[in-house]
Amino acid sequence: MPHRPSIAAITTIYHKYSHTQHIVDRFLEGYGWAGTHHHPPMDLVSLYVDQVGEGDLSRDRAERFPQMKIYPSIAETLTLGGDTLAVDGVLLVGEHGEYPTNEKGQRQYPRYEMFQEIVKVFEASGRSVPVFNDKHLSWNWDWAREMYDTAQRLGFAFMAGSSLPVTWRTPSIDMPLHAEVEEAVGVGYGGVDSYDVHALETIQCMVERRKGGEKGVKWLQAYRGEAFWQAHHDQVWSRELFEAALCRSHTLKPARDGFNHIFPTIDELKGIVADPIAYTYEHVDGLRCTMILMNGLIEDFNFAARLKGQEAPLSTQMYLPMPPARSSLANFFSPQVNNVEQMFLTGKPTYPLERTLLTTGLTAAGVDSLHEDQIRLETPHLNITYPAPETSTFWRY
Amino acid sequence: MPDQPPKRLAVICTIYRYLSHAQHFTDRFLVGYPCGGHWHRPNMKVVSLFADQSPEGDQSRARAQEFGFEVYPSIAETLRCGGDALSVDGILIIAEHGEYPNNEKGQKQYPRYEMFKQCVEVFEQDGRSVPIYNDKNLSYSFEKGLEMVADAKRLDFPVLAGSSLPVTWRLPDLELPLGCEIEAALMVGVGGSDAMDYHALEAMQCMIERRKGGETGVKAVEMIEGDAVWEAGKQGRYAPDLLVSALSRSDSPQGYTKDDGRTQDLVGTGELPRLVKKPAAYFIEHRDGLKTTLLMLNGAVSDYCFAARLNDHPNLQSTQFFLSPTPPVTYSACLVAKIEEMFKTGRSPIPVERTLTVCGILDHCLTSRQQSGVLIETPDHRVQYQAPESSQHCRD
Repeated sequence: MPHRPSIAAITTIYHKYSHTQHIVDRFLEGYGWAGTHHHPPMDLVSLYVDQVGEGDLSRDRAERFPQMKIYPSIAETLTLGGDTLAVDGVLLVGEHGEYPTNEKGQRQYPRYEMFQEIVKVFEASGRSVPVFNDKHLSWNWDWAREMYDTAQRLGFAFMAGSSLPVTWRTPSIDMPLHAEVEEAVGVGYGGVDSYDVHALETIQCMVERRKGGEKGVKWLQAYRGEAFWQAHHDQVWSRELFEAALCRSHTLKPARDGFNHIFPTIDELKGIVADPIAYTYEHVDGLRCTMILMNGLIEDFNFAARLKGQEAPLSTQMYLPMPPARSSLANFFSPQVNNVEQMFLTGKPTYPLERTLLTTGLTAAGVDSLHEDQIRLETPHLNITYPAPETSTFWRY
Repeated sequence: MPDQPPKRLAVICTIYRYLSHAQHFTDRFLVGYPCGGHWHRPNMKVVSLFADQSPEGDQSRARAQEFGFEVYPSIAETLRCGGDALSVDGILIIAEHGEYPNNEKGQKQYPRYEMFKQCVEVFEQDGRSVPIYNDKNLSYSFEKGLEMVADAKRLDFPVLAGSSLPVTWRLPDLELPLGCEIEAALMVGVGGSDAMDYHALEAMQCMIERRKGGETGVKAVEMIEGDAVWEAGKQGRYAPDLLVSALSRSDSPQGYTKDDGRTQDLVGTGELPRLVKKPAAYFIEHRDGLKTTLLMLNGAVSDYCFAARLNDHPNLQSTQFFLSPTPPVTYSACLVAKIEEMFKTGRSPIPVERTLTVCGILDHCLTSRQQSGVLIETPDHRVQYQAPESSQHCRD
């Protein structure tokens, strides 16, 4: 009988609709996958929860799934209370929970700190196992880089990132591998340092497939409020791609009473979106990308790109069945968990960590530019080079 | 190529108010809609409109004023734009919503047949016919539906009818191979009868019509409700793995998922009967022997999912028909693109026999329900057709 891997989960908080609940529950309860209710062929055996308060579900889950034990420290969670690493894979879910916000508005989730605790056990045990880090690596670029370098040094498989790259797409398309991409725009919603990284991952998972692969990013500039509208007017980013992305939205707010779907004029856009935000950035190979957050106008993540020699833009939506308005299950976590499962089984990431290292850096640069009066920031530290996986990893079965 | 003059359209509707079907569909011809990643403005002009009822919130007059068309007091005048001959190039009959009586079978008697017949009368009097889009079911009555399709054949005009479910996005983007051999199929739906069971039946029909030999008509139907539905499952009248497969595509399990967000195998845990107080099962036996089932499972989920077992295929095939949020109801744009195609080309990309098939299935199932779930032989249901070769749902 094949060995069933044992998995540990290191988390900040476990309440309804927290990332921990979405991810850990799928290991415990199974989830809909490929037309059946799939139970991962592995056992989640240990759990660490940093904050346990009102609405906590970790105790309920431990009771209902007695094979999963809760430990009071990260080290014990990884050693199962013994002296040495005793699991075959680690989930690190540091999203949600009460953590301080710094002067730049970044929520200081302790992903780096937790990661360091995990690495300590790896080093003490003389052995490492695959790690999945939910969302971006850290709010702090230097720490993110250190996490990446540590994984390289110790040679363990490490995956991270958002569920946006792996969820359903409407239409169900990928960027053709080696396409010549002239410009790309992602239009999403949500807050700075929280949903901007989702929109950046939406763009990056597509443009990394371009000819020559990823070569890194040279500079980034953020735009907000009036400066956004001026930049939109000046076509700092393509109006055509912005509109193509909006034409993929399933949530476009009607610009006029009594209509349920009508394309907004610029004046109507300004009336609907009080605080528009954009991060425009240029890759080392010259590709220009723009991430736009249009709160009030849409509640989904859309992508459009102009490809060389093609008249119409390539565009799609990375669809999130987001509860509670649209669903009861945040099923976009299913393809994410499924990819992580594959890493736990094979010891190989299904998509590159460099993608998330880059989006982590772009998020931090966007936050910095906004904090520094929307100046253009040179990003020589984002000289991140990697090839895209040849096989598409988004949800399509 | 010189610009063609815009096609002239007439709208015949029951009511026109916010979020009514008439508003969803007609507005897209007035203000455009997203299609293939751009905002498409059809080269078509609504020139006339008839609304049977003008309740509070009526928008027909305001739309007429803003977009420059006339509202006429009768269907004939609407089609002739107040003149003495048919003067439109296409007709939208949108008879959903509004106050109409229910009959003893629980069917809401929307006047689709009556509206259609008045259009046909004008076609006959004026010696010319134009394409008709008939929103949703042809009629609550199979007999009337048969007559509508016969009229269209006799006068040689295309009819596009039906639900948005067959043309909306699918999660995943599943299309059964044309000519496949289907061993069994099951659909899960929610909502009331005879509004939402219709949508669910048509969603299933657009998948199974692609089987080897195409659609052959329906031999018998049976509709049961309550605990008998679970009993029928235990007796093997529908396959539990197909039900698991369909539900695995749902994004909306209720019960514990609503309570604390957890994923659930509603069949495996036995939760399904606890959640669904009044299940309904529609059993359909097609003339080629294929048996299909629709389960209406209010209380368990809130989306529409399909599963099928194919011969010689190791995995079950399943998908969700994606009903996007309201507003903006993007899935109605998928259907409007098909309507526009018919008006442009003079042929419907979707066979009207699909809707006629479902019209007959539903009407007979509701007879079965009225007669406490007896098996109803359906010798009158001999609707045969081949599925379109190319996929017609939204996928680009």
